[in-house]
Amino acid sequence: MYKYLLQSVDGIQLYGIVTLVLFFSVFCIAAIRTILADKQDTDRLAQMPLDDEA
Amino acid sequence: MSRIEQFQYDNRIVRAFGIAAFIFGIVGMLVGVVLALQLIYPNLNLGIPQTTFGRLRPLHTNAVIFAFVGNGIFMGVYYSLQRLLKARMFSDTLSWIHFWGWQVIILAAALSLPMGLTTSSEYAELTWPIDLLITLIWVVFGINLFGTIIKRRESHLYVAIWFYIATWVTVAVLHIVRSLEVPYSLFGSYPVFSGVQEALVQWWYGHNAVAFFLTTPYLGVMYYFLPKAANRPVYSYKLSIIHFWALIFIYIWAGPHHLLYSSLPDWVQSLGTVFSIMLIAPSWGGMLNGLLTLRGAWDRVRQDPVLKFMVVAITAYGMATFEGPMLSIKSVNAISHFTDWTIAHVHVGALGWNGFLTFAMLYWLWPRMYHTKLYSEKLANIHFWIGTLGIVFYAIPMYWAGWTQYFMWREFTPEGTLAWGNFLDTVLQIVPMYGIRAIGGTLFFAGVILGVYNLYKTAQQGAFMANESAEAPARDPGPAPTLQGEYWHRWIESRPIQMLLFSTILISVGGIVQIIPMVFLDSQTPKISTVKPYTPLELTGRDIYIREGCVGCHSQMIRPFRAETERYGEYSKSGEYIYDRPFLWGSKRTGPDLMREGRGNKNAKPDSWHYNHMIDPRTMSPGSLMPPYPWLAEHNLDLSELPAKIKTLRALGTPYPRGFEDRAVAEAQEQAKEIAANLKTEGIKAPDVDKKEIAALIAYLQRLGTDIHVAKTATKK
Repeated sequence: MYKYLLQSVDGIQLYGIVTLVLFFSVFCIAAIRTILADKQDTDRLAQMPLDDEA
Repeated sequence: MSRIEQFQYDNRIVRAFGIAAFIFGIVGMLVGVVLALQLIYPNLNLGIPQTTFGRLRPLHTNAVIFAFVGNGIFMGVYYSLQRLLKARMFSDTLSWIHFWGWQVIILAAALSLPMGLTTSSEYAELTWPIDLLITLIWVVFGINLFGTIIKRRESHLYVAIWFYIATWVTVAVLHIVRSLEVPYSLFGSYPVFSGVQEALVQWWYGHNAVAFFLTTPYLGVMYYFLPKAANRPVYSYKLSIIHFWALIFIYIWAGPHHLLYSSLPDWVQSLGTVFSIMLIAPSWGGMLNGLLTLRGAWDRVRQDPVLKFMVVAITAYGMATFEGPMLSIKSVNAISHFTDWTIAHVHVGALGWNGFLTFAMLYWLWPRMYHTKLYSEKLANIHFWIGTLGIVFYAIPMYWAGWTQYFMWREFTPEGTLAWGNFLDTVLQIVPMYGIRAIGGTLFFAGVILGVYNLYKTAQQGAFMANESAEAPARDPGPAPTLQGEYWHRWIESRPIQMLLFSTILISVGGIVQIIPMVFLDSQTPKISTVKPYTPLELTGRDIYIREGCVGCHSQMIRPFRAETERYGEYSKSGEYIYDRPFLWGSKRTGPDLMREGRGNKNAKPDSWHYNHMIDPRTMSPGSLMPPYPWLAEHNLDLSELPAKIKTLRALGTPYPRGFEDRAVAEAQEQAKEIAANLKTEGIKAPDVDKKEIAALIAYLQRLGTDIHVAKTATKK
């Protein structure tokens, strides 16, 4: 059943490439947005382990 | 303004996990030293089946990974989670069920593995009832983890917690899929997948046990304890975001690099290689983030033993994660696979990264929880130095041994024959290296003993704070409001459920892409018409082979290299393994490959050779490092489970005819009589040998790799 379904999809090879491109672009966008994030924000968050002693 | 709430952190659970980590660290490493010595003095098992190398090796790996590092993880998580979330653990009861449950699992492993109760799948050797208990306890840990996250007072989740969440979900997925097995008795089971498919599932699991048990939780711990010890924030919070997502996504694909040049289809091998090479980027991102956190604090590294341990731990992580991608390149892997290079690689990770980071945590936590100073900084420094020396004395000889043996395996004479045709010669060459390795391991172990003494004295001079008071503003329930202009990733950083969901999706992709086509497409495992299921006696012999842990030293996978086909015979094909449950390809050749050991192959030996060799290997191979197995000729052959085994295998797809289970015992006895007759003809005086375990094992060994010859004979006819 599964075998039939997988083999009968037209151009199933294309799915792999689409997935790769999709993941790669999401990763790049995420990385760029992270790099461009406000440093003050992230610096404050990086302090968290040091602020935990109440 | 929210009202300020007062609460207490639970230190008792942290201490309990810390003590357990130390105790099991000692046990696991002591077994390691014993194993190292057994590889020099094979009789060191003292003639006892339960203390023989094959059975003790999984005890060593399980004790170090799941008992030492496992308890180390929980110690780090229970301490940092409470403080980062400004909340006591969700439920003290669950904390203690988790603690005792985990120790019961370890105890069950320590009892069952030497008894030979094993699935033989590396790092998943425990039998199915223990697998169920692991699942249960992991769920308890999960409820406690997410319960604490939900009742937290700090809306933002620090990067360490993302790693804890990813660890929890991935280990759950890995454990469940790897443990898909059908029981045939109280402790016995057969895996759902067979042969090449099982190999893929196994190394998807095995490699990610390294990734998500030995790495991600310790990275989380690093992101908390390193800033604490250095008293400065992590070098780059942005880098930690990229590090986290890239690492968990890429890691899961890397498993097939354990199966390079095997019968696994090339496309899966290539995926494994590509993703393993990519892994260097996030791994080094994390490593550099750790080391650069210390910039401006290097003067303190000279004085503070905690920071010293951390620096070497992170450096070892960097070395191991550089080496890993290199070892995933096929030509390099050809050298490392099956040799001691792999052993060196994993020990740089285990002793350096996991060991030293655990010691750093312990040395940092104990004085704080006992409200005192470390009993002796000097002793901690000695521990650091002999530990470091121990790693060096362990790793270098193993690298040397691996390369030496590989080049001996593949050396040809000008006439075109193997220069070292006798496998044993290549082993004896590296025995001195095994000796130095044992010294390295002993040094490392001695350091641990000093550590235990130091922390014991620290505890004695201080007063334990079982409950540490703290206060923090209450948090409004629900997700934190997204503020205008806030940087984008904060959205998910305050939403644990979404974090869990996204992590689950990311870690699932690699496994799905690799495993599903392998399992569901017949074209991926071409069948060989002459390959038939094992006979009942061979099946029994195979289970004895599994019980004794033979797979720890003998592979059953001939790679398509001239040096291997020349030495062992025709290279292995995936179709030959379709009835192998579990697969027994192995990952280390301390002894030769056994894929073509069976009758009719060029290396085949008479039954009497196997008999004598099992009683005392050195009568057949002078100087051999194999332990003797005289009990195989003494223990009676137990065929009572055969019908259940046959039925289970048939349910899983092995084509045993209906009703075969009723004839199986009689057929086994008949074949055993044939073996006994052969032995008698060959001059072995062993009355009743057909009723002993050794008959079944000989039957299995004589079957190995023989089915493809049936094909040749048939074609000739």
